[in-house]
Amino acid sequence: MIDTILYGLTIGAILYIFSIGLSITFGTMQIVNFAHGMVYSLGVYLFISFLPWTLRIFPLAMALAIAAMLPVAYLIERFIIRRLYGESLDYAIIATYAVLLIGADLIKYIWGTAPQPVSDPIGVPLVVLGVVIQLYRVVVFLSAVVLFFALRIFFTRHVIGKIVVAALEDRDGVRALGLDVNKYFSIAFVIGSGLAVLGGVLYAPITTSEPYMGFHILLLAFAVVIVGGMGNLTGTFISAFVLGMVIAITGRVYSSAADTMVFVVMALVLLKNPIFSFVRRLRGRPAHG
Amino acid sequence: MHNIAVHQQSFPVQPAQRFLVFRDMAIIAAAFLALSLFTPLYWLTDFAVMCILVLSFDLLYGYMGHLSFGHMLYFGAGAYMASLALLHLAPNPFLAILAGLVCGAALSAVVGFVVVRTSGAAFALVNLAFNQIGYWLALSGLQDYTHGEDGLPSSVEALWFLDFRQAPVAFGFMLVCLLLVFWLLKTLTASPYGIVVRSIKENEDRVKFLGYNTFRYKWLTFVISSTLAAFAGSLYALVKGFVAPSDVNPLENTRIIFSVLIGGAGNLYGALVGSVAFEMISNLLATTIARWEMILGLMLLALVFWFRRGITGYAYQLYLDRSYERLVKFAQGMGLSLRRQK
Repeated sequence: MIDTILYGLTIGAILYIFSIGLSITFGTMQIVNFAHGMVYSLGVYLFISFLPWTLRIFPLAMALAIAAMLPVAYLIERFIIRRLYGESLDYAIIATYAVLLIGADLIKYIWGTAPQPVSDPIGVPLVVLGVVIQLYRVVVFLSAVVLFFALRIFFTRHVIGKIVVAALEDRDGVRALGLDVNKYFSIAFVIGSGLAVLGGVLYAPITTSEPYMGFHILLLAFAVVIVGGMGNLTGTFISAFVLGMVIAITGRVYSSAADTMVFVVMALVLLKNPIFSFVRRLRGRPAHG
Repeated sequence: MHNIAVHQQSFPVQPAQRFLVFRDMAIIAAAFLALSLFTPLYWLTDFAVMCILVLSFDLLYGYMGHLSFGHMLYFGAGAYMASLALLHLAPNPFLAILAGLVCGAALSAVVGFVVVRTSGAAFALVNLAFNQIGYWLALSGLQDYTHGEDGLPSSVEALWFLDFRQAPVAFGFMLVCLLLVFWLLKTLTASPYGIVVRSIKENEDRVKFLGYNTFRYKWLTFVISSTLAAFAGSLYALVKGFVAPSDVNPLENTRIIFSVLIGGAGNLYGALVGSVAFEMISNLLATTIARWEMILGLMLLALVFWFRRGITGYAYQLYLDRSYERLVKFAQGMGLSLRRQK
């Protein structure tokens, strides 16, 4: 029981860290960024390559991988997403999807298709109430919580964060104040991409890395963003953990259906308005809207 | 500044052209027969099936403006259902096609009820999510029926002269099916219903203000489009005699989207030209070039940035420019000067 809860919290933490960037681009630019998955998987593969060079010091390799992916993220934002901003959404989806495809093929070309395992950097088992749990997973969960509060402070205290939040609400209003919105979106995008790599690296010891992993986590993260509300950072935090628990509990009962359950929850959330109005009609009250 | 949609120039809405449709069908048949002179017949059979799939997608994306990343779900559902009907009911091809159609229609009627409530990005993603569920079902969820990764082989009994093992018969049957689907879609899109669907692409709110129940139109279009995709899937199962989970793989949606884009979205000719062009490229290149996905991605990027109208849109623009020049010359001869209206 405890290990199921802990697994759910860990998956939720990873999903949250990965989804922040998606939620920001969704909320500010109304762009679905498939390239986020490419940044994530390329970052993890770079991390795996850096690990032997840095004497297996986990945080150092992680920092190097994030630092290496930031310029790539900037290039994607500058030359693909910003060029398509304001045009039809479809083209943005297709173009970033093309980036994801190129990334997956690049990984297959450089590292091959074989799954890449990473060993647990802490490897200290804890015994809680007679159940053995991995300390590493607790650390992942705690780092997501710390990140949540750090981002809250960033978005409410720091001027860049405040501008991004304001632009999430009303982009034109911020422009009218004479601020270069694109610059701040760039910064937010690059931060989000860095967090995607962070999430991927933290997830690497729990799972194995393969070229299409960016695609799989993207699907889950889109569900998180849709359930939490696009551009709603607190909602993303809560829905990530809810869906993480859904994955963990379903996985315990019927392991291969775990990811599928997430999409069932997402469909229910999308359907909540029609369901509520149906229930209201059953109770004999007039349906609104 | 929000959500400014720059759509590609769509072809003019024409009144129902009862006879022009048959002219176009004759041209398509002639083009396929001409292609058969220098391409293997089994390639063309695949092309025809792919054309039906891309045509069905064009109704959803090109005409209604709803980009879906989950169209393979219905293709795969049709293919699996047709194979199951062949295996468990009777090895009759028409029964298999019927089973595929019913399965596609029922599935999309239920899924469409959820999916059509969303639009834009959420529509693409929710479809992708459903496709992923279907892929999982084919791979492991319904393993007892689909045989998971091993795939599902099936065989069709020869019915009178319809023997799908003979390449010319299979090709002829697929071509007739393609022409039927083309006729259906051409008639549908030129009808008042088709005009409402195109208007939803341009501005859904205004269509609502005019008093149309857009939900009903969107749902109907989704079901028609998905059922035609299931039709393509059941034909595919008949020709191949084998269905595998890779036929439901959400990653395969790129093929459809790419075909529509390269040919030009929003007109049926574009879907036909695009899918034949794409299948030609992939059949010729995919076997010789190892980094096929990367080339596909790079070509998609190039299409999005520089060649959005596709082959047919580009040709149509050339035609418009030509006729405009001719008009200007004619006017100059009459002593008038024309200025282009922007």
